[in-house]
Amino acid sequence: MPLGLYISVPFCRTKCSYCNFASGVFSQKVFARYVDRVCEEMRQAPGTAAVMGGHFEPAIDSIYLGGGTPTILPGEDLQRLFAAIRQQFSIAPDAEISVECAPGSLDERMLGTLARCGVNRVSLGVQSMVDGEAAAVGRQHKRATVLEDIAHLRAAGIHNINLDLIAGLPHQTPASWTISLDEVIASGVPHASVYMLEVDEDSRLGRELMAGGIRYHAHFVPNEDAIADFYVEACRRLNVAGIAQYEISNFARPGAVSRHNLKYWTRQPYLGFGVDAHSMLEASADAYTLLRAHPMRSRPGDTPGDNGGNRPCDVSQANVEAVRFSTSDSLEEFLAGAALKKMPVSWAEAREEAFFLGLRLNRGVDLRTIALRFGLPAELEDTVAHLCADGLLERAGSNIRLTDNGRLLSNEVFQRFLACDTAARM
Amino acid sequence: MDRARIRNFAIIAHIDHGKSTLADRLLELTGSVSAREMQAQVLDAMDLERERGITIKAHAVRMMYQAHDGETYQLNLIDTPGHVDFSYEVSRSLAACEGALLVVDASQGVEAQTLANSYLAINHGLEIIPVINKIDLPSADVARTKEMIEGAVGLDASNALLISAKTGEGVPEVLEAIVHRVPPPKGSPDTPLQALLFDSWFDAYRGVVVLARVFHGTLRKGQKIRLWSNGRVFEVETLGVLTPKPVEIEMLEAGEVGFLIANIKNVADTKIGDTITDDSRPVIEPLPGFEEIKPMVFAGLYTVDAHEHTALREALDKLRLNDSSFFFEPESSVALGFGFRCGFLGLLHMEIIQERLEREFNLDLITTAPGVRYKITRTDGEVVEVDNPSRWLPQSEIRKIEEPVILATILTNEEYVGGILKLVEEKRGRQKGFEYVTSNRVMLSYELPLNEIVLDFYDRLKSVSRGYASLDYHLAGYWESPMARLDILVSGDPVDALSTIVHQEHAYERGRALAAKMKQLIPRQMFEVAIQAAIGGKIIARETVPAMRKNVLAKCYGGDITRKRKLLEKQKEGKKRMKRIGRVDIPQEAFLAVLRVGEE
Repeated sequence: MPLGLYISVPFCRTKCSYCNFASGVFSQKVFARYVDRVCEEMRQAPGTAAVMGGHFEPAIDSIYLGGGTPTILPGEDLQRLFAAIRQQFSIAPDAEISVECAPGSLDERMLGTLARCGVNRVSLGVQSMVDGEAAAVGRQHKRATVLEDIAHLRAAGIHNINLDLIAGLPHQTPASWTISLDEVIASGVPHASVYMLEVDEDSRLGRELMAGGIRYHAHFVPNEDAIADFYVEACRRLNVAGIAQYEISNFARPGAVSRHNLKYWTRQPYLGFGVDAHSMLEASADAYTLLRAHPMRSRPGDTPGDNGGNRPCDVSQANVEAVRFSTSDSLEEFLAGAALKKMPVSWAEAREEAFFLGLRLNRGVDLRTIALRFGLPAELEDTVAHLCADGLLERAGSNIRLTDNGRLLSNEVFQRFLACDTAARM
Repeated sequence: MDRARIRNFAIIAHIDHGKSTLADRLLELTGSVSAREMQAQVLDAMDLERERGITIKAHAVRMMYQAHDGETYQLNLIDTPGHVDFSYEVSRSLAACEGALLVVDASQGVEAQTLANSYLAINHGLEIIPVINKIDLPSADVARTKEMIEGAVGLDASNALLISAKTGEGVPEVLEAIVHRVPPPKGSPDTPLQALLFDSWFDAYRGVVVLARVFHGTLRKGQKIRLWSNGRVFEVETLGVLTPKPVEIEMLEAGEVGFLIANIKNVADTKIGDTITDDSRPVIEPLPGFEEIKPMVFAGLYTVDAHEHTALREALDKLRLNDSSFFFEPESSVALGFGFRCGFLGLLHMEIIQERLEREFNLDLITTAPGVRYKITRTDGEVVEVDNPSRWLPQSEIRKIEEPVILATILTNEEYVGGILKLVEEKRGRQKGFEYVTSNRVMLSYELPLNEIVLDFYDRLKSVSRGYASLDYHLAGYWESPMARLDILVSGDPVDALSTIVHQEHAYERGRALAAKMKQLIPRQMFEVAIQAAIGGKIIARETVPAMRKNVLAKCYGGDITRKRKLLEKQKEGKKRMKRIGRVDIPQEAFLAVLRVGEE
């Protein structure tokens, strides 16, 4: 199966107050070194995959440059990255090649570079089409900038454009949110992502909200219920406009669903390079050696016998279905060649993932497919029945999917599919 | 030893007024403990005692002191517990002495507890030596402290000793004063044995160790002794004194203090205040003042994890080996499952037990709101005692309810009197006395229902007086009161562990406050949760926790699935730490909220 490729570019011109990613403002001096290191990682990819116990595949059909702000890199560095990719991997002719861009960073030279690199999809970190809101969280652009960028991209032949919006920014109101949504629809782009503000320790705004302070306009952040309303309104308006929701945060016109994005939710293999980059590969045949090297990796549900229903449990048999691994989230450590963190995924965990990732998609998951691959214990059937009774899931034949309310409460649903859960806790 | 050269004395002091430091200095000066061995506050052996700066168990240390008159004296320091919860134990320790040092902090003055213990000592006929400590502090006010000792305690403070236990200044004079002012014990070694049991504890290797003061006769190794209250007979295996290291001796004569080990398996057999006598030659009468210790404060103890129930039972059994003053019996709660109804001497005692269970036995506990034991006269005339809200009788079966009442003594500065009066009125207090002990120091006496004290009285008193009020109390009887059970219903189901007994006049107000507090503490669930307060089936307050609107991770970052999994697992773990009642997850804090209602 062809792989997806993710390349992280953790550099930004400024750090937005809501951002909880491993990105930051660094001196340009480090850019070339970083690209060198990423290229080196790519060259070592087959060996890395072997060490991790994953199945390597040179064929790729999606590339995603995420950030940070990939377009902050000089054109030659971007070209070096793509040259390295082409050297190591064979890119399918119809591959989806996406790059995340900050609005306003796309000058003519950059557009030329992207075209030369074969980029055919661009994701713009708009967040809000209301100028005051964007400025309050530290975005450098205005609504007009976004519209100009879209026009320039189209002129350069890139029509597959995504716009990101965040529900829950400071100063957002039902009226201003509607403006952002309508602008996105009116722009005619085929793809939109709607996120909700995440409040955690990893962003300045999150920390301020948790502390109850007023820096970063924290006291102007809409409350939970309002954000939920914004989200519901976004789903409604985008669907009506023909930009159909296909995943909790993603919406696309027909034919514009992001292939790379789908890989995450359907558990197709992908490789990530750069700081805080994540990979998942199918377990290679001799992966059981890996399990032996990590005896403490068992989770509460991983008791012998609970290896996925029908499969006979035998220690000598590989209980690893896939392997996930990631790089350090510190730029310094990454540049110094820090070791990868490996997390083998057992069959029981893989089944959990199949649910909590697959159910993110509007099309849901097929219980029969899951049962065939992993086995389906009776208590999971009960869990499904309870969730349907509570109106969080809906079932049609062997297909189950989130209801509208289930989507808003999806973490509650997903928890129920995690180990040691039974119908007893509902 | 010649009784004329024995002195038995205690130290009476408020927390932090320097009792333990002074005791340490005395041990050093008499060479009982070398400076090198000196770990600060030798006598407070339990970790908890050291941390809290209070003495929970009594001790008795023998020091040999060569006085200025050239004679060597045997000084027995009987260290007493320092908290109102243990006032009976204090009274028994004082009964073992002929004198007491009244230690008062020169910058703080006399506090209520000191006062209560001083009165106890005076009533026992002890010679009291006022000692003014911490005179090295810049804020020390010796004249005012003397005035307070005279005004509040009623003692002549003109010959009070001025010391600094910290620097050692004046401490040698304390030893001389003990020799010259505390009378020697009376009694004869030849009369039938009569000894006071004033403390006991369980030692894993030696069984029960008893501290005793011999009043008459002689206690010998190999002797068959009888405990008065239960008639049990034991043979003395070991006799000794603490110096503070244990040293074995052959006999303890009238006037002396020491420990005995007699193959006693159960600490509950050795009741504090009991009389020890010779089985073959008993005395005719026991020593006065013995009381069976009764728990005053009751609460349910439950483990958060139901699987730890057995571990809790084992832990309680072990603690009880050492502390016969708390009791427990199994109880079950619809809300919390299987647990134990426990009785304690007071709130501090409860906290100590709870802390030891969590610390020494690594248990995660839920404690229900503490309450008291009511006397209920049924309509058929039968009197029953009820300490558990779940056993409360239907109002139609109740003729009369009586609640325990305490007599509280509060010492404070004039400026805080207004706030305190408001508080005691709110707590249904009745004034018994109002007295200026110095020009700006006031002593209040109030009768107060114990049930009001166990809720949040200490904290409230502390806040209205900014910490400048001290409280002491003792049980003073019962009052008839119209009490009722306040129930909390979550989603229509009564949560028994949240029920409390309240005065009817306060019921509405408390019900409303409690429902509002619950609303704050119960997190939003997948559905709307109604919280109601009810009395006898009548709903008196209602709050609603709206249904959770969203719990969604609407973000994807470069395929980091592990992070998503961790977040889900963390949320799931969080729910496990809550108690599920019906379909509602209730956090542990909610069960204690009953205590904190009305604070803000």
